[in-house]
Amino acid sequence: MRTFHRLIGDEYLKLRTTRSPFVIIGAAQLVVILGISGVFVSGRDPFDSETVLLAFSHIGIVSIFSLMLGITAVAGEYRNKTVTDTYLATPSRGRVVGAKIVAYAVVGVGLGLLATLTASAATAIWLDAKGTSLDIGMPGLGRTVLGCLVWNVCFAAVGVGVGAFVRNLSGAVAGALVWIAIVEGMVGQLVEDASRWLPFRAGSAMQGLPSMNGGEQLSQVSGGLVLVAYAGTFVAVALATSMRRDVT
Amino acid sequence: MTAISIEGLTKDFGVHRVVDDVTFEVPSGTITGFLGPNGAGKTTTLRMALGLVTPTAGRALIGGRPYGDLEEPRRVVGALLEATGFHPGRSGRDHLRVLAQVAGTSAFRIDEVLTLVDLGPAAGDRVRTYSLGMKQRLGLAAALLGDPEVLVLDEPANGLDPAGMAWLRGLLRNLASEGRTVLVSSHVLSEVQQIATNVVIIQTGTLRYSGALADLPGPSLEDAFLSLTAAK
Repeated sequence: MRTFHRLIGDEYLKLRTTRSPFVIIGAAQLVVILGISGVFVSGRDPFDSETVLLAFSHIGIVSIFSLMLGITAVAGEYRNKTVTDTYLATPSRGRVVGAKIVAYAVVGVGLGLLATLTASAATAIWLDAKGTSLDIGMPGLGRTVLGCLVWNVCFAAVGVGVGAFVRNLSGAVAGALVWIAIVEGMVGQLVEDASRWLPFRAGSAMQGLPSMNGGEQLSQVSGGLVLVAYAGTFVAVALATSMRRDVT
Repeated sequence: MTAISIEGLTKDFGVHRVVDDVTFEVPSGTITGFLGPNGAGKTTTLRMALGLVTPTAGRALIGGRPYGDLEEPRRVVGALLEATGFHPGRSGRDHLRVLAQVAGTSAFRIDEVLTLVDLGPAAGDRVRTYSLGMKQRLGLAAALLGDPEVLVLDEPANGLDPAGMAWLRGLLRNLASEGRTVLVSSHVLSEVQQIATNVVIIQTGTLRYSGALADLPGPSLEDAFLSLTAAK
């Protein structure tokens, strides 16, 4: 039986041998650059530390791309029917899904770290253009970056769960994006303050910034715990559905 | 000696019974044709044998063990179940690289199987550029990667031109001459008649015949097949 770390290695080889992950990773960096540029173009005070934290908070937005990568890890295998060969090689499906979760959680960290580098460079360039410089030791910056990394890890795991549950790649990606862009906002209006417990709002709390819409926000630690709970739930769903369903 | 043993396999999808108490054996070192009309339950039976579909009842054994209990399953059984089971953006060689790693087989074997299926020159091309016949060859290469003793092939002749069919016939004969066991489902009865020593025939999920090709009633496999699968 193949060891668990080899199963994780299998996932990285699958990632490396297709182009789409690199496109997603590149697109994520572009979003970070555009978002940070928007912060500085909007006329915010570049000497205010909150402006810098707001710029770095875009590392958290990258979690949407971590979510997409996680979804693709499983639903992509169903779409291309490579899941048949995957399960023929490793009949223990729980180990396969477990390896995907670990592998893509690490991908989430990697994507977050790359976004951190991109955010650092973009922010430094903008601050330089505004006549100041980036202080990487500024209060709150470490917590914002760390929170955003946790957000990426949890959303990658949620993505694997969504992909395993839905299996239809287009449906899973569209459903996740529609939830983030539309449904969560609508549900938030209905449940008002309780909306801070919803996944994207909980993720936003990880940025360690005041709520954009003025509503109450979870603390960074609470947001992290809520995200971990969501990730755990989706991981459980992924394991349960993958082991039970026939691969036809 | 029995390579594959199917014992009372039954599968219900909802209220529909697609495989009903099917029992047969595939002797080691033989080519066994697995025949039946469309929707007869061939693919479901093969997938149950390989642990992809959970039987409602019965069991399937490979070399005396359920597929899921095999230590290194791809070294024991090579399977071609999906003519289109590839990431379209991956090259044929990278597809085999992934499978070699996942199956725990040597990467050196990749060139051997590419040569064996005559796909070497196209190995670096992305699979989305392959014809169906080339995909079948790539699928066969993948099945052979682990140098397995048992091959389970679901409609490997689909998409092959006449030259490809002749090539496949030769390949399967060579594999059997090496002592390997081949269970191959097909609609091309003339091909099966030329290569198989045994046949299994099912219709609407039930077994109609299992045994030596030579013992089938009638002047030809086609006559026997049509007679055995005629609506009752």
